[in-house]
Amino acid sequence: MKITLVKKTLADGSPCRKCMEVESRLNKSGHMNKIDSVVIADERDLNSEGMLLAKKHNVTLAPFFIVEDSQGSVKIYTVYFKFLKEILDTKSTEAEEISEIMDNNPDLDYI
Amino acid sequence: MSTLKFDVDNLAPEYDNREPSEILKLALDSFDNIAISFSGAEDVVLVDMAVKINPKVRVFSLDTGRLHPETYKLLDQVREKYGIKLEIQYPDTESVENFVAEKGLYSFYKDGHKECCGVRKVRPLRRKLSTLDAWITGQRKDQSPGTRSGVPVVERDGAFSTDDHTLYKFNPLSNWSSAQVWQYIRENDVPYNELHNKGFISIGCEPCTRPVLPQQHEREGRWWWEEETMKECGLHAGNVSIPKV
Repeated sequence: MKITLVKKTLADGSPCRKCMEVESRLNKSGHMNKIDSVVIADERDLNSEGMLLAKKHNVTLAPFFIVEDSQGSVKIYTVYFKFLKEILDTKSTEAEEISEIMDNNPDLDYI
Repeated sequence: MSTLKFDVDNLAPEYDNREPSEILKLALDSFDNIAISFSGAEDVVLVDMAVKINPKVRVFSLDTGRLHPETYKLLDQVREKYGIKLEIQYPDTESVENFVAEKGLYSFYKDGHKECCGVRKVRPLRRKLSTLDAWITGQRKDQSPGTRSGVPVVERDGAFSTDDHTLYKFNPLSNWSSAQVWQYIRENDVPYNELHNKGFISIGCEPCTRPVLPQQHEREGRWWWEEETMKECGLHAGNVSIPKV
């Protein structure tokens, strides 16, 4: 299995907050060593590797994970806690899940 | 009558140009276990429309504990006027106590609104939605800044569906403008939040909502101290005119 983490650099050159959070959690939990490569989706450069991967897999959220199994089949995860559960066999806390739901669904602000 | 299989992929485009009342009728005819989420703002029009279709329609509100007095007043007015049993959802006591003990009552001004909203609003919302098959919101396309994707009139709820339970979400006001909402409020004598008379457009919790000036987007009345870029997780093409991936 090959796991790629795609993280975002914002249009002003700064790293995206959510991507930093996810990376930090992976580091703290010791799961970072299960990530085979980390790729940048640079909003200033549509030809950056991460932006091309996002386009290829039709992904509009960052960060996201590309998981390729030994048969070459690819699964995309834009929801971190789902990735944790299904790929790393680890459960996230309710607070982490809620935080991610809010990050991925900014329209909830208006509920 | 609840349908075993709700054909959202075909119904979403079919109903995209329909009137909000038709979308509401579709929702209420298709699901028994469905409720309107009423925030105490302009979405009051949904309650008015829905009661005319089904006087026993279920309506729930999220009381974060930090709402404006005017909002509480409206919730009660709506309950009385429409004769509905308003289902009020409260945050988990222990979660709020722990959060406030650790961070105080105004932490959102320092480190953003998400944590507080998570404890006071989204957790109770998720708890409520886990008991429903479908819900109805007052979300509209014109509430969202340009970078956001559209708000379909009906969709599978990607945020709160689980592997075992598909939740459907109806947004009957999606294609209406604020002007259309207000025309409906005036023409139908719908009770509304007094804060609208004071310049508020989008109404949330008291510490995080303020009035806006003419021509300001309603978003500017919410969490105005936060940087816009920190609120978004989408991959955008930045300032170059290249389409979003």
